[in-house]
Amino acid sequence: MPRYGIAIDTTKCIGCHSCRLACQNQNGLDFTETFNWIKDKERGKYPSFDKEYIPLQCNHCENAPCQRVCPTAATYTTPEGVVLVNKKTCVGCKYCMEACPYKMRIILHHQGIVVKCRFCIELVREGGTPACVTTCPTQVRIFGDLDDPNSEISRFIAESGAEPLRTDLGTLPKIYYKRS
Amino acid sequence: MPESAWGWLIVVYLFLAGSGSGAFLAAVYCDLLAPDWSKSLAKAGSLIAGPLVAIGTVCLVLDLEAGLWEPWRQVYLAKNLSSMIAWGVIILSGFIPIALLYAAALNEITFIGKIAKKYIRILEYVGSLLAVATATYTGVLIAVVNGVPFWNTPMMPVLFLASAISTGLAAAMIVAAIIDIDTIKTLSNFALGHVIFLAVEALVLMLLVFMSLTRSTEAAISANMLISGVLSPYFWVLVVILGIVIPFILSIVEYYEYGEMPKTLVIGSDLLVLMGGMSLRALIIFSATPPQIV
Ligand code: SF4
Ligand code: SF4
Repeated sequence: MPRYGIAIDTTKCIGCHSCRLACQNQNGLDFTETFNWIKDKERGKYPSFDKEYIPLQCNHCENAPCQRVCPTAATYTTPEGVVLVNKKTCVGCKYCMEACPYKMRIILHHQGIVVKCRFCIELVREGGTPACVTTCPTQVRIFGDLDDPNSEISRFIAESGAEPLRTDLGTLPKIYYKRS
Repeated sequence: MPESAWGWLIVVYLFLAGSGSGAFLAAVYCDLLAPDWSKSLAKAGSLIAGPLVAIGTVCLVLDLEAGLWEPWRQVYLAKNLSSMIAWGVIILSGFIPIALLYAAALNEITFIGKIAKKYIRILEYVGSLLAVATATYTGVLIAVVNGVPFWNTPMMPVLFLASAISTGLAAAMIVAAIIDIDTIKTLSNFALGHVIFLAVEALVLMLLVFMSLTRSTEAAISANMLISGVLSPYFWVLVVILGIVIPFILSIVEYYEYGEMPKTLVIGSDLLVLMGGMSLRALIIFSATPPQIV
């Protein structure tokens, strides 16, 4: 079984929000609902400074607090390591939203369920890649198998020294960031 | 990114579940250990314990967004035992019926009460365990949330338990006074309970807030919101001064005056304790600060 992850090169991100739109389209979300956030942060000091755009989404944590606290077991991890929410059993208690340290989950009030990035599992199982990865005009994202040392993503991580955000939180996230 | 998922419904739930279980403990204490003159307090406490927790649970259910439209989904609620909500469901479904049965038994309501009266000791012991479990669990519920570092400490359940006992005692005393205003004189004996539990609450609250200042950046942000930031007027006025300090002083006076204090002050001090307990939970929920991730 592969163990999927995404590597993100923030030095290439231009903050165009294409990934967010592609994701909303793929997941049938309204424009106010999103699984992707682009945070911007100033870096450097005057006169040599610029803005870093950091795309954020669910990290599909291996030690996922959202899954641990879910009373109904609606949140589960697939054999490929993708953390999903079962729409039929979620009760909308929002405990997972509180528990996620990355705050990557949203509630759809009209359906009463909590949702988040799903790594476009239906596309991936057919051999494709998630919509955000395919869409990105500057190819910020690399999707692939973290367990295969020869995959593009593993080589990228090895070469760039990319790391997940806030590894100190201990959730073992699977989205890696190259930030400089 | 969504900042906070829980709001007033959860605050009210935490408060009612706490004060209901506290009222149960106060009732059992009076029935088992205190002499005859405390019976009105035992009656009052037993009568409100079940309903308070039940109303709180209704708030919790109202907050379940899918559970409201498709209530059958709630059968899944205890599927994952590593979730505190699952444990809460188990504890509450034990505690609410026992608390209601205890009220029936102690006040001999209908034939059910008469039958239950035979088993009143069992109801008292099992019920007390479940009451402590309920009050503590409301704290553990948020203490295990690593998405909010300020909540993520074992001090939280201790604080919630102490506050549950103070507010439960206050609620029972108010109802005892409503049932029979003359008992207010004897109630002054229980002012000592307020003195003790308000002191414990104040101590744990102080530890929680000040230790959070050094625990982590995010816990410090929350703590600062309370002691000097946007929430500080509410924290100092509603929780500390009106909710703890004034009732604490009034309770000491009440204890030594032995029933000579004006009735309005006695009831007023209990109302302040309730208001303080509610504000405390609201401020803890609303000061939640997630980890800074970038
Ligand atoms: S990022 Fe949040 S929602 Fe995603 S797996 Fe981790 S804890 Fe769960
Ligand atoms: S909102 Fe749904 S997915 Fe989240 S913890 Fe509750 S039941 Fe589980």
